[in-house]
Amino acid sequence: MVNRTSIVTPEFLAVLIPLLALWEVLPRLGVVPRTLIPALSDVAVTFWDMFANQGFLVDVGSSMAKFLLGLGLAIVTAIPIGVLMGWNIAVRKRLLPLFQLLSPIPPPAWVPITIILFGIGLPMQVFLIFLGAFYPILFNTYQAVKDTEPRYLASARVFGASEFTLITRVYFWHALGAIIMSVKTGVAIGLVMLVIAEMYGGRTGIGYVLNEAKDYFQIPKMVVCMVTLGIIGWLMIEILKSVELRLAVWKVGR
Amino acid sequence: MIEARNVTKFFSIINEDRTADGITAVLSVSLTVEDGKIVSLLGPSGCGKSTFLEILGGLQAPTEGGVYIDGKQVLEPLPSTRKEMEAYRRKYRFLSPLANSMFRNRPKHDIAMIFQDYAVFPWMTALQNVTFTLKLRGVPRREWEDKAVVYLRKAGLAESLSKYPSQLSGGMRQRLALARALAVEPRIILMDEPFAAVDALTRERLQDDLLRLWGETGITVVLVTHDIDEALYLSDEVVVFSPNPGSIRNRFIIDVPRPRRRSDPELAELRSRMTSLFKYDINHESEYSI
Repeated sequence: MVNRTSIVTPEFLAVLIPLLALWEVLPRLGVVPRTLIPALSDVAVTFWDMFANQGFLVDVGSSMAKFLLGLGLAIVTAIPIGVLMGWNIAVRKRLLPLFQLLSPIPPPAWVPITIILFGIGLPMQVFLIFLGAFYPILFNTYQAVKDTEPRYLASARVFGASEFTLITRVYFWHALGAIIMSVKTGVAIGLVMLVIAEMYGGRTGIGYVLNEAKDYFQIPKMVVCMVTLGIIGWLMIEILKSVELRLAVWKVGR
Repeated sequence: MIEARNVTKFFSIINEDRTADGITAVLSVSLTVEDGKIVSLLGPSGCGKSTFLEILGGLQAPTEGGVYIDGKQVLEPLPSTRKEMEAYRRKYRFLSPLANSMFRNRPKHDIAMIFQDYAVFPWMTALQNVTFTLKLRGVPRREWEDKAVVYLRKAGLAESLSKYPSQLSGGMRQRLALARALAVEPRIILMDEPFAAVDALTRERLQDDLLRLWGETGITVVLVTHDIDEALYLSDEVVVFSPNPGSIRNRFIIDVPRPRRRSDPELAELRSRMTSLFKYDINHESEYSI
């Protein structure tokens, strides 16, 4: 079942506001060293400064573009391959072992060879994000399609459905909930790979700014980068939730 | 006309200790169903009647024997020798024997099927469920909606066209399955315990709905059930199955004219004869009872 709840509830605010207050007060009172843990207001000032004067928006945009490109690439390849593997045992037997051998390699381990193959820049970064998002989407799609209830297939087959119709009208829809869930996992791993890719190679992006801030010991700047990444991830999940709500309206009921 | 000739279905099982085992689900069943009749397959659960129905509908291939609908074989039997097995594997490497075709929607036979647990698609509205099957049958697009509405109305779902199955009650879902099956105007309809999952009152209403729609269309119905009263009330012929292995035990022709009364003394007489049959089975250490 799709569950739609707003993040801003009175219950949550009752926790959030005291936390933010502590973040502001503790460094100011010197309970924790202000040079290491900047107060909320320091971060807010840096936040404003970075967006208004340092062109941080360009970095955010560049990161978002890379991320969406990599994730999109993963979606348009992993879903069809996963559906085909789940649909047909002949395809499964040929492809699944390959992916089962490749997927245990942790995506960050691909960084060095990717840099050598693609050089430093956009293709390498997009590839790494793609790599992070690809396997969870692939395996979950495959599993969900494979587990399609036989009675739905049987009833469509008796009426004369071709295999293509079965894929587009039965298998895919039956697996849709799991596919969207897997894209959420893909978003999470894709974000990890975005930061890694930008830290290792590139001249723009949130990960690059983060790494640069570390070198200059600009802690508020680092916090701003972290918060921005968190917001991006949260936004993506929210977008996926509304997509889910739109596509899987039949699951909501009334 | 449906003709089943010596249909046998054997399932092999590999145990955990890697020994092989087997179950004969259906043993040498021959049955002829004339056009326009309602025939019930009656028996306790596990007697192979559902498997037999799936073989009739082409959802499972028989191990031996064959089913012919108007003389045309539904599915070829499974291979029995090693050589045949290899040829079979090659033939069906990419497309399973159950598949109709890769891209073209076309039914192999003029059959519709209704399942115990509805099997209407939860991601389609009532109307979409019916128009989808019309599309599969190659009905021209402009006729979809009108035809679907006609049959949904006949099934008493005129007000629920845009509802999803999750918003319908069990009885309504089964009526939707019935409308979906009838809308393609099949000559044969196979039903696997269609009314088992609804309450008794709804069941009686659905049975009457079925008889009414059957009277209007004159289709052939093969119905699997474990409910003696249902079989007696609906059928022209009741075929009693017995388990281990699943085979035909007895047949009863029911020539009580329709409309029938559920309390008809003639039906009651037949009922007691059938019940004694099952009692006999129980006395002979059958695992199953009714």
